[in-house]
Amino acid sequence: MTPSDLWVLAQAAAISLLMALASIAFGTLLATLLTPLAFAPWRLLRAFYRLYIFVVRGTPVLLLALLVFYALASFWGRISPYTAGVVVLTFYLAALIAEVFRGGVLAIPRPLWDCCTSLGLPRLSILRRVVSPLVARYALPPYLNVCVMAVKASSVLSIISVWELTLASREIIERTLDVYRVLAVAALFYFIMCFAIDRLGRQLESRLAARGFAGERL
Amino acid sequence: MQQVWPKIFARARTTPAPLASVMVLLLSLAAGQAQERSRLDEVLQRGSLIVVTLGTVPPFAFKDDKGELVGFDIDVARLAANALFRDPNKIEFVIVTSDGRWPAIESGRADMGVGGTTVYPDRAIRVAFTRAFIDSGISIMVAKSSGIKSLEDLNQEKYTVANLNNPQMADRAQLFFPKAKIITFDTPSGEFLAVKSGRAQALQIDTPTADYFAATSAKDFEVLPTLLTASQNNAIYLKPGDFKWWLWLDTFVSELRTGSLFPKYAEIYQKWFKKEPPPQKFYLPPAR
Amino acid sequence: MGQYRAWLEAYGAAFLDAAAWTLGVAVASFVCALLWGAILFFLRLNGGAWGRRAVDAYVQLLRNTPVLLPIYLIYFGFPLVGLLWPASICGGLALVLQNGAYICEIFRGGYKAIDRVQHDAAKSLGLMPWTAFRKVTLPQLLVHSIPALGNQAVLLLKDTSLLSAITVVELTMQAKVLTERTGAAYAPFLVAAVFYLFMVWAIEFLTRLALRGVRWR
Repeated sequence: MTPSDLWVLAQAAAISLLMALASIAFGTLLATLLTPLAFAPWRLLRAFYRLYIFVVRGTPVLLLALLVFYALASFWGRISPYTAGVVVLTFYLAALIAEVFRGGVLAIPRPLWDCCTSLGLPRLSILRRVVSPLVARYALPPYLNVCVMAVKASSVLSIISVWELTLASREIIERTLDVYRVLAVAALFYFIMCFAIDRLGRQLESRLAARGFAGERL
Repeated sequence: MQQVWPKIFARARTTPAPLASVMVLLLSLAAGQAQERSRLDEVLQRGSLIVVTLGTVPPFAFKDDKGELVGFDIDVARLAANALFRDPNKIEFVIVTSDGRWPAIESGRADMGVGGTTVYPDRAIRVAFTRAFIDSGISIMVAKSSGIKSLEDLNQEKYTVANLNNPQMADRAQLFFPKAKIITFDTPSGEFLAVKSGRAQALQIDTPTADYFAATSAKDFEVLPTLLTASQNNAIYLKPGDFKWWLWLDTFVSELRTGSLFPKYAEIYQKWFKKEPPPQKFYLPPAR
Repeated sequence: MGQYRAWLEAYGAAFLDAAAWTLGVAVASFVCALLWGAILFFLRLNGGAWGRRAVDAYVQLLRNTPVLLPIYLIYFGFPLVGLLWPASICGGLALVLQNGAYICEIFRGGYKAIDRVQHDAAKSLGLMPWTAFRKVTLPQLLVHSIPALGNQAVLLLKDTSLLSAITVVELTMQAKVLTERTGAAYAPFLVAAVFYLFMVWAIEFLTRLALRGVRWR
């Protein structure tokens, strides 16, 4: 493996990271719109949420990518594979993150809900002052899980010509047959990116750790 | 201002605008169908060629150590661009993985495709192929230390052979060494690792690829004498149903192998495979 | 419609076979990953500072690297030390090692969600540590973790598609083989997707059942 190979891999790693960050950002936004649907009083909305999670989580991302890229392209004209990739990952991550947030909401102790209703707090206040801070704390570890997964998730997009770290390492491997070394370097790049995300997340976690929760020593 | 909006809405509800726009849409769709033109015209108008290819099949199409896409098939595609536009650089490559080739062609994202793609009857139902621009026979590579010297040696139950997941290799394994066990990978690197790690003793691979690896990264492997059987035609593939485009591409390949473009073909053949291409006038008996 | 029927007749059995492989590997790996994740979490809680650091390092290493690396290392590397295990076992082991790390994190998140008050209350009641864990911590831990565990099960199911790189003929590999043979752009993947969706539906159903079983009123 030559130094220029290393440079190629570094560029590919940057692309993977950028796509992951963009999809995480948009996916989180979409998830904050989705999660309330899971608790809506109307059955139709709850069913829509379940259907969305089911289809997007259950279908292989490969197929989602193909469908978004080619089927959507017939409506919108040519779109860049990278745009399509971010769109696919956004919808996919939104499903995962919505489930994580939903788990967070479910983790709120029932007495707390009763307190809120007995205090007569308006809906928005409950959301802002009670639910959001709690969900942020409960859901942070699994949310970090999803973020880390996002970095690696873009590897599937090579089928729609997105060039990223996994494809780049594959190209070098197929030329040189130097499997372990190239995979190790690629793994190192992934590790650095994911570890950084994880560390940032841990800092956030410790900032948010509130007194009285058992896990603060963890 | 506040009184204007309701009035605008009231008018919109009564004008025939919605109906009219639907009619225009339908008409334009119909018109689109009527003027369906060949991909060739579209390519000529665009001024560049869009080719879908793989990036992981040396020496047909792969990335060199600067990350540039190179290979025999890439050069053939550039010759096609040159034939159309007098400029081998009026070309755009869409690099996908092997499953991504067919959607790229079918959706019209790419005009044509290359990249070590072999003609196979089952595929030809959905994908159109030109005539072959190279015969990519299949060879067996074994580790030099294994002691296997021929196909007959291989046809024993104690041996495992690594295949790629293409139908030609599966058929060939069935035909020539049915007793050996088969494990199937989706990349050549997997096959080589299998032999290196001892999970298999031999691997099937395209002959040009075998020669490429034997010369570069797999020096401790050797290639068994090539199987002199059915040729594996690698060709340009495109969306079926467009006769004009297929005719031009097929004519181009014909000229490459047997016509005016033969010198250029011989040049790239030499460059990538280090030997002479099959003779241009194949219908003549070999010279004494 | 007719061509799809012919297609299904020709390749349906192959897909069912591949689906069986996918399901088998996924179920076995998930069960083992749950056990492994529980062991790791237990070590983290009770292993002192060293236990926590060791588990942390393990989790960081396996979470932040592509799972293809352990798959390759186990499948191609083990034979070099004499262990020639079948591909599905090698792949399953790699999946267990990786998902165990994720599951340990999920348990960590669930544990954090339990109010400290609960632990103090259990102690003040004089409950033995194991009883306290069983009756107080565990139910709440499960309630908080089960949705995320269900998520992880789905992700593990999807991850089985990576085993196509080491010859396991599971659903994605079967779809790839058919795409390679027939040049069909979407059909094989759509069929595989239907199988995956069905399995995901089963996972979601089981998750809902589990949640209902564990949730306290």
